[in-house]
Formats: sequence, C-alpha cells, structure tokens
Amino acid sequence: MRQLELERPTKIKRKFGMTLREKRIKRVAYLFVLPAVLFFLAMNAYPLVTVLWDSFQYKNLMNKALSGWAGLANYTEVIHNEYFRKALWNTVVWTVLSVAGEYVLGLISAFALNQKIKGRTVFRAIIIVPWVVPIVVAGLTWTWMLTPDYGIINLWLVKLHILDEPVYWLGELDTALLTVVFVNIWRSFPFFTISLLAGLQSVSRDIVEAAAIDGAGVRKRFFYIVLPQLKTVSLTMIFIHVIWTAINFDFIWVMTEGGPLYSSETLPIMIYRYAMQDYNFGNASALASLMLGFMMACFVIYYMMTVKKNRR
Amino acid sequence: MLISRGKQRFLTILTYVVLLGFSVYCLFPFLWMVVTSLKPDAEIRTVDPSFWISTPTFKHFDNVLNNSKFLTFFKNSLMIASITTVASLLISIFTGYALSRYGRFRGVKLFSVAMLLSQMIPGVLLLIPLYLVMKNLGLINTYASLILAYTTFTVPLCTFMMKSFFDSIPIEMEESAEIDGCTRVGIIFRILLPVSLPSLVATSLFAFLNAWNEFMFGFVFINDEAHRTLTPGISLFKGLYQTDWGSLMASSVLSVLPIVILFVFLQKFLVEGMTAGAVKG
Amino acid sequence: MKATKRMSALTAAVLLTTALSACGSSDDSTSKESTSTEGSTTTTKQETVKLDFWAALDPSTDEGKNIQAKVKEFDDAHADIDVNLQVISYDVMHDKLVAAINAGDTPDLSWGLSEWFGELNNMDALADLTPYVDKWADKGNIYPNVMEALTIDGKVKALPNYLGIRALLYHEDILKAAGLTEPPKTWDELIAAGATIKEKTGKEAFGIAGAGVRSPQELIMYLAQNGLTLADKQADGKYKNTWQDNPDQLAKAAEVFKFYQDLLSSKTIKADAKTWGWEEEDQNFVLAQYAMVVDGMWIEGRSSENPDGMKDVKVAAPPSKATPATFMEIAPLYVYKSEHPDQAWELASFLLGADYQQVVNPGKSARSDQQVDSGWGKDFMALAEQGVVFPAVSLGGITKAMEDSLARAMLKNDSPEDVAKWLSGAINDSLKKTGELSAS
Repeated sequence: MRQLELERPTKIKRKFGMTLREKRIKRVAYLFVLPAVLFFLAMNAYPLVTVLWDSFQYKNLMNKALSGWAGLANYTEVIHNEYFRKALWNTVVWTVLSVAGEYVLGLISAFALNQKIKGRTVFRAIIIVPWVVPIVVAGLTWTWMLTPDYGIINLWLVKLHILDEPVYWLGELDTALLTVVFVNIWRSFPFFTISLLAGLQSVSRDIVEAAAIDGAGVRKRFFYIVLPQLKTVSLTMIFIHVIWTAINFDFIWVMTEGGPLYSSETLPIMIYRYAMQDYNFGNASALASLMLGFMMACFVIYYMMTVKKNRR
Repeated sequence: MLISRGKQRFLTILTYVVLLGFSVYCLFPFLWMVVTSLKPDAEIRTVDPSFWISTPTFKHFDNVLNNSKFLTFFKNSLMIASITTVASLLISIFTGYALSRYGRFRGVKLFSVAMLLSQMIPGVLLLIPLYLVMKNLGLINTYASLILAYTTFTVPLCTFMMKSFFDSIPIEMEESAEIDGCTRVGIIFRILLPVSLPSLVATSLFAFLNAWNEFMFGFVFINDEAHRTLTPGISLFKGLYQTDWGSLMASSVLSVLPIVILFVFLQKFLVEGMTAGAVKG
Repeated sequence: MKATKRMSALTAAVLLTTALSACGSSDDSTSKESTSTEGSTTTTKQETVKLDFWAALDPSTDEGKNIQAKVKEFDDAHADIDVNLQVISYDVMHDKLVAAINAGDTPDLSWGLSEWFGELNNMDALADLTPYVDKWADKGNIYPNVMEALTIDGKVKALPNYLGIRALLYHEDILKAAGLTEPPKTWDELIAAGATIKEKTGKEAFGIAGAGVRSPQELIMYLAQNGLTLADKQADGKYKNTWQDNPDQLAKAAEVFKFYQDLLSSKTIKADAKTWGWEEEDQNFVLAQYAMVVDGMWIEGRSSENPDGMKDVKVAAPPSKATPATFMEIAPLYVYKSEHPDQAWELASFLLGADYQQVVNPGKSARSDQQVDSGWGKDFMALAEQGVVFPAVSLGGITKAMEDSLARAMLKNDSPEDVAKWLSGAINDSLKKTGELSAS
C-alpha cells in the first residue's frame, strides 16, 4: 500500500513558478499533515533523537560514576558482544522464515477463499481468529501446548507415532527459534490472507478467461497472469511485515526469552536485555541505532532497485 | 468454461481440504483456550491432556466476571481502543489525503518517509523515553497516556492505508465538486469518504485491534486497576508461583470473542476495503 | 472569499481533531491528579498523605484477599494516610520500577525479588531505614541473618516481606516403589538413587531448573553446598569472585558443574530438565512425573489442583556435598525515597507486625516469634539457618551468567573446568561493568 508512492511521478507537474492557487494548496497540504506531524515529533522523533544521542554517551544506571561522551565505545562494545553475530543472524532467519511462511500460507489460503464454494464466509472468519488473539495469550497457550510432558501436541504426535518420544520444542538449541517462527506465522498470516484476497478479487476475470481461451493451462494462468497482478500488494505486504517482524519482541520474549543459550535471541531481545537487565542505556541505544541503520540500508537498497526496474 | 468438469470437482475438493486444514491450524489454540476455560482445576494440567471435558464448569467464567476487575478492564480497553480508532482515523484521513493529493510538495513527501522510518524503531526502546514524556505531561496512569501512545503507533499505517484508498479515487470527482464550490474538507467528508466506506472500516478495524491487544505500554503506563486495560489485566492471572490457567483462559476467551464477532460481521468490508487500495498499492 | 471560507472550515476540522484526541487527556488528568504518585507538591497542601504500594499478590487466593483486607484495615485506622494498593505481578513489576525510577516517579513501597536488591540500591532508589529500625520495638523479632542480608554498608535498605526457603520435596510413594526408605542426603546418594528409581519405576528421580529465574537460585545453593560463594566483599568494600585466584575453589566449582552433567548423563533428571524453567519443574513434580525436587512452600498450594499427585509429598533437607545449605529467598519489602518517609515507615512496620504476619505469612514469616509448629511451615523453617542468599550487588548480569553457565555445561557440553573458569570471569566482568569490582 505504501512503498511505491515515492517513485510514482507526481500527478501534476508544473514547470513554472508557484501560482497563488498553488501556494494556497500548499498551505492546505501542510495543515492537513500538521496533526500527524505533531504526534510524530513528540512521540517518535524525540525518543529517536534521545536514542541516537545516548548511543554516544556512557549511560549506565548501575554505574553512574562513568558518564559523559563515549564516542564509539558503545558501538564497539556491542559489536564485540559474544552473541552479537548470533543475534544478527537469528534476526535474519526469524524475519525471512516468518515472512516467507506467512506469505506462502497467506497466498494458499487466499486462493482457497477466492473459490466460489459454500461456507466461504465461515472459513474467512475462522482464518482471522489467530490475528485477534493477543500475543501474550497466544504465546502462553502455545508454550503450554508444546511442552513435552503435559502438552497436547507432543502427546498426539507420539500417539500417532510421528515421534518416538516427546520433543522439548522450545528447549532445544536447534528447534527453539524455528518453533517460535512457526507460532509467529500462525499469528500473522491472516493479515496476508485478507490483503491477498482483496488483491485476488480485483484480478480481472476477463484477462484470465481470455488466456484460458488462448489455451493457457491452470498453472500457466496462475504464474503468468494472476501472480503478476498480485505483485504490488505482495511487495507491500512483505515490505511492511519484514519491518514489523524484525522489530518484534513480544513473541520471542513470551515463549523463550531468547533461550536456550541465546539460540532464539534476536536484536530486539538483545536491546531489551541491555536496557532492562543491565540498565546500560548507552549500549542499548547503540544497538538500536545499529539496527535502525541496517534496516534503513535495506530500505534504501530496495528503493534503488525498484526505481531502477521502473526506469527500465 | 475455464476448466473441465472433472478438474473443477477436484479443485473444489482440494479447496475444502485446504480450508479445513487451515481451520484446524487457526482454531487449534483457540479451541484449547475454550476447552481449558471450561475444565475444572483438576482436569486442566494433567499428564494426559485432551479436548474432552468430563465435568464442564463455568466456575472460571464466574471467577473472572465476579471476583476480578475484568469488566473494568474490558470497559477501559473498549474506551481506549475506540477513542484511539477515532483519533487515528481523523488524523490519517487528512494526512492520507495530503499524501495522496499533495505528494508533490517536498515537506509532505519528507514526512511520509519519516513516518516510514518511525516504523523501524523497536517498541522496547520507546518505553523509557515515552514514559518520561508522559510523566512530564502529567499523564502517567491516565487513559490519555495510552490513547496518545496507541494513536502514534497506528497513525502511520492508517495513513498509508487511507492514502492508497484515496489514490484509487479519480481526481476528476473532486474537480467537479470543487467547481460546485465545495471546500477541501467538504470534498473529503461529502464526496471521498462515503465512497471509501469499506476502506474506512478496514482501517478502523486495524487501529482498534492494535489498541485492543497492546500489552507492554498498557502495563508500564498504568498503575492502578481502575485504569488498567485488558491484556495486562488478563496476565494478572499468571500468578507468582502458579498460573490460574482456568481463569486466564476464561478471560482470554471473553476478551477475544467480541473482537471475533466484530470481525465476522465486518469482514465483508474488510476485504472490500482492502480491495480498493490493494490494486493501486 | 472562497479561500477564507475554506480556511476556516479547515481550521475548525483540525481543531476538532486535536480536541478529540485530547479530550481523553483533559478530564482524566485533572480528576486523577492525586493518583499519579506523590511528587513534591502534595505533602504541604494536603492533610492526608497518599502512599502508593505495589504488591505482587494474587487476588484470587485467600492470601491475596487477606493482604487486601489487612491493608484496608490499616488504611481505615489512619485518617491521615491513604494507601493506594496496586496489584502488579513480578513479571512486569521490574520493568515498571525501572521506568518509574528513571522518571523519578517511584511508588512509596513495593514488593520485590531479592535479585533486585543490589540494583535498586545502586540506582539510589531505596530509603535508608536505619533510624526507624533502630527505634523499632519489633527489631529483635526478625531473624538476625535476614536483617543482615538486607543491610548494606551498615544501613538497612529493605525489610523482609516473607521468606522463601527451599527444601527437598519428595513423592514418598515413588521412593517406596523403588525400595528407598528415606530421601538421599548427599549428591552421590542422589545419583545412585536416580538409577534405582529409573529402573524400578520408569520415572526420573530428580528435577532441576536449567533456565529462567529459578536456575541461578538452584546453582547458588549447589555452590554453597560445596563451600563456594559467588562474590566476596574485599578489603576495599567492593566485591570479587575469587575462584580463579584459588585452584582449590575452581576445582570445587568444577565439581558442581560436573554434578549437573552427571545428573543428566545418569538420567537422574529428564533430558528436558536442562532447559526447564520453574513452571515445567513445578508442574512435572506436582504431576508426580519425577520423584524429588528442591522447591518452595508454594508447592503446597498445588494440592487443590492435583490432589492425587500431591498426597504423598514429604519435606526433607536438600542433599548436599561438603556443607548442608539451601537457598533462602528473602523477598524484600522495598521502601523508596519519598517526601513522607514517616508515613511509609508506618505502613511498612504494620506489614511486618505480628498481627499482619500471623494472618498473611504463616510458615514463611521473617519473624522468629511467628513460627508454626506443624506441617510444611515447620519443616521449611527448620532449614532457615542453613539458608544462603545472593550477595548484595547488582545481579542482572550475574544471574544471566549463571544461567548461561548451566547451558554451557548441559547444552554445549563444555568441560566443567572451563565452565567454572568462564563463570568466574563472567561474574567479575559484570561486577566491573557496574563499578562494583574490587581492585584487589
């Protein structure tokens, strides 16, 4: 919904200087965005500036003796943290797998819901359910269902002979992160479903039918006609969700707190630890600034790529 | 005919199978919540968990409704989420309109990028600075603190949603109205908004849901039960050394159900509303 | 003409928007001004003093209801004090406190965990209670070792809310089924029992918490049982972990980690226990999934939910190595710096009074005159004198390091010697970061 407005050429371009009317319109435009700007300044810009400023300061609540300008000390300290790379990698894995899974499930469910079948409304309602369950509640419930000794999932898997013995999904080094990803997909894919369904419903039937008459098979029609029409909405959804997933904190914290032994620790978890467990706001701010930097870099790269493509 | 009859039947069956699979996946934890809330304590945490309830009880619902402040929390959440929705909608209608129609001005464009960037700040990091802001405004422990915070969080996405809806409305419609002497605000409210009603519903649902489910700020900004919201309220059943699972699940069910019902009724608008914006992106 | 009209309509709309978004704020902040904590202004203006008190009580239990009733009693008896009791669970209280301290907006009193003691003191948030305690008639009724643990540099910085002593709990029926007449007294006996119990009953003998808040509490106990401390006060008044300076201590620490590894390899504990949190540990014990655990009084409350699993549970002293020791959690009652310390003390001393303790904390009171003579309470309190506590330093980094050390020993299978060395270094690193590391 949002990412492409930047490269779209402005609707009316006037080469000559601003007319009186144009000036007036400009005033209206700025007045219209004013409330949002005020909110933004007080609640986003101010904290953001604080974070950037603090990242160059020694600021540790536990050690007030050490304060003042730190230069890049916080940054080097954070980067040399034993688990920094691990957390960075986990963030990438967490984000990529979550968003990929959400997209695939969203696409399949949207297609299924787009078929003309009975009970469509009921299914559509059911699929929205995960999205409205509060994260804390969902996290606690899943954690319980996944435990080895009194969790229903393990019990069933063992009864069905899919597993020989219960697995502690959230307690093993190699399954913890993937399990949280699985639950995160469960929670977030309905948003994809709705958006993609909306996109599908606006796919022109005429074109699809015309292609069918020309002899294009189901698969061909899907890949060459339907998917390209979903491109915009897909890209938008993926873009938003990459951001949201990368900065997501609640799910991992509720389910594993980043453990066992940092195997599901992502950058936001690490930021939280620095801030609320070590009270080292300097380090926390530096890590947050780094993360912001990474994401902005990705954003710029993405932006350049789309602009280039559009020019071609 | 696009596909042969046999293929059509196969496709229908496949669709049902897929949808049933999704239903199980989506409902499984929710059903578990419902079942747990109806079980007596002795059946909740056992070595042999099952969906079967041998002696169903409404004890936990009774406990939640009569012995806890659940209804207060519910009322608070309802109020905060509603005001947040109205506020973010009003703000984002104007901002979205400006972004859609006046994107040519550098200031407006810059602001849209800034809003996008603001989405990249991890919420954890805002906790302490925002607490300070609220304290300086004397708003700690008020509904206003949460309304302000939630509005800030929802405005960017609502704005982008509204922008894309406005994008999909041909500018000619406005031009004719303008000739008829409508003011700009008049145009928005009399001409554009009625056309994009489904989109408005979709956007408000989104804002409402966000405010309804938020946890961390709700807990940190609010100090007393009279102002506490639902999600932090529910988590109070997670006690010190043991969790009252029955009541926790009962209260979760009670807090999720109204939203589910709301969505079921409004889902037609939801998809329609998104359709309007989706094509244009 | 048209322009003015348009502009005025627009301004009206913008005003409407701001008015709407602000309406929640205006009426609320005025009416509730008194609720938002006592700043600096209210004391002189008003006769009654409002005390904010955050408690992690569970309102659904009898204990929680008793506390609320008692506090109300106090409130009613003091015309000049208005107590604002807030229920806030331990899960989030920590974050709330940090945010509030940062903003200079603390409550007057709060419950808390002993792990936060050093931190809160370091943040300079706690009131010095020494003058009050010195004049307090009940001073002699508090266990001396408890009072000492809450004193930093000769100043009393917190009061004991309740004690959480840990003891060995065992399912008698499982032990009997394995032919054991009494619970193991040493680590070796425990591991030997592990094999027997597994063979005879198919169940594991023991449970541990390998992760979460409970795991450092258990680790400090095992360390103490082998004669070790986490950090000692040095001549300069600061702290240091001395294992690496002392091969003997390092070897002993390694033995502790070896013990954890042995528990795992001998299947005395379930394989999952290496990453269990307290919930899994407690839940599985309550369900009689394994035979023994070192745990607290609260397990007794689980009988209502699992009468079958709980009916054969008995209490004993934890198995040990060189010296008997158990973890004693002193849940502090924190009194923060505020404008009206006298009233805060008034409430605090009421909460520690014989009357309140008798009703609220039977069997876990820090008052030596409030002991029960039967049941679990008696068995637990009997262990009070072998109780060990965390050192009064900032523990955030240290407990995390302890949790990590267990993961290194049991998940990564590092050698016990390496883990001991690593933990020693990590503790000193953490002390250094918080400026509490001794130079010696």
